[in-house]
Amino acid sequence: MFIKSSDQVSRWRLIKRFPVPHSSSSPRSQIEPGKTWPVPAGAKHTQRLRIYRYNPESGQNPHIDTYTIDRDACGPMVLDALTYIKDTIDSTLAFRRSCREGVCGSCAMNIDGTNWLACIRSLDEVGDPVDVYPLNNLNVIRDLVGDQSHLLAQYQSIQPWLQTETPSPSNRERLQSPEERAKIDGDYECILCFCCTSGCPSHWWNGDRFLGPATLLQAHRWLVDSRDEATEQRLDALEDPFKLFRCHTILNCTRTCPKGLNPGKKIAEIKLMLQQRRG
Amino acid sequence: MATKLPPRSPDVQVYRPQLTSVLSIIHRATGVWLSLGAIVLVIWLASVAAGDGAYTLVRASLHSWIGGAFLLSWTFALYYHFCNGIRHLAWDLNYGFELVSIYRSGWLVVAASVCLTAVTWVIALLITG
Repeated sequence: MFIKSSDQVSRWRLIKRFPVPHSSSSPRSQIEPGKTWPVPAGAKHTQRLRIYRYNPESGQNPHIDTYTIDRDACGPMVLDALTYIKDTIDSTLAFRRSCREGVCGSCAMNIDGTNWLACIRSLDEVGDPVDVYPLNNLNVIRDLVGDQSHLLAQYQSIQPWLQTETPSPSNRERLQSPEERAKIDGDYECILCFCCTSGCPSHWWNGDRFLGPATLLQAHRWLVDSRDEATEQRLDALEDPFKLFRCHTILNCTRTCPKGLNPGKKIAEIKLMLQQRRG
Repeated sequence: MATKLPPRSPDVQVYRPQLTSVLSIIHRATGVWLSLGAIVLVIWLASVAAGDGAYTLVRASLHSWIGGAFLLSWTFALYYHFCNGIRHLAWDLNYGFELVSIYRSGWLVVAASVCLTAVTWVIALLITG
């Protein structure tokens, strides 16, 4: 009931879904029942995974396949289970992964109804069966691989690079004091996994124009950077009923961030900056 | 090969309800519900101006079981929207954003609005008998 940090798994088992019909999505996105794959021979300690599958070449709708893994032959994390399935049960399963230690953000997905990195979510923390979906509200390329083009275009739109007017110092870098540097703590750690943005209801309904928590956290990072000289233009660009102010402080972002960051707070700080600029 | 639009991955259909999103949607729902309640308030006031017959009718409707249930729901909606509104004001001033605070203030809002509703109704029932 009380959540102290975002890595805590909800113990709330009473309501697992919002009371919305599954058919509320568009016809091409309707999820159909899939197949149940055989249990590995000789497995004693098993766990089931219900995984969202979609094959663009099949011409069929997405479906849910059920796999059973042998926990004794598999690593401890959800990503290990996916790798195990790909290696030993069904080689057609597609998912993104790279670092397998929560640094790269590739394996972000919806696990048991919450967005998290598969590589740092233990199989002991999730249910049996555990539901695995791609990140929410994305066009699905294949299985657990969502199309992030729009999210990355939104990130690009805030011009995430240092902008200056003064000439750079000839013999050294642009320096920061430790205090100035500390201002981007909680911003620079973001790995752009988009767990927050795809878990944000405001972004589900208005994702075409609302920038979403990940991009706004990055916008904050450049607004408070002491070396950046485009603060006013950045604020001008954000002063928009949709880009920033579609944030209704729902705070699913802060609840879900796998790096323990606080996008909700950073967005509130941008809103305050705009307010204070008006005087 | 015919190009078919890719499916959209599910969002509200699969995302787990949690205190953050549930309290947010209740805030919006109570807001809508209070707007409807404001219309009933106007009808009640207008019936006072319209005279005996109209007022007796409106009073009888509000005193019925169903009328009482509606009034109870509006009392709760009012207190919930008020308490959660204060929570939102604190956020707008950049207070209470730690995850612990978010959950603590959330449950506090729920408890406070239930208690205030109960107290209001106890007092109201004691007065009217």
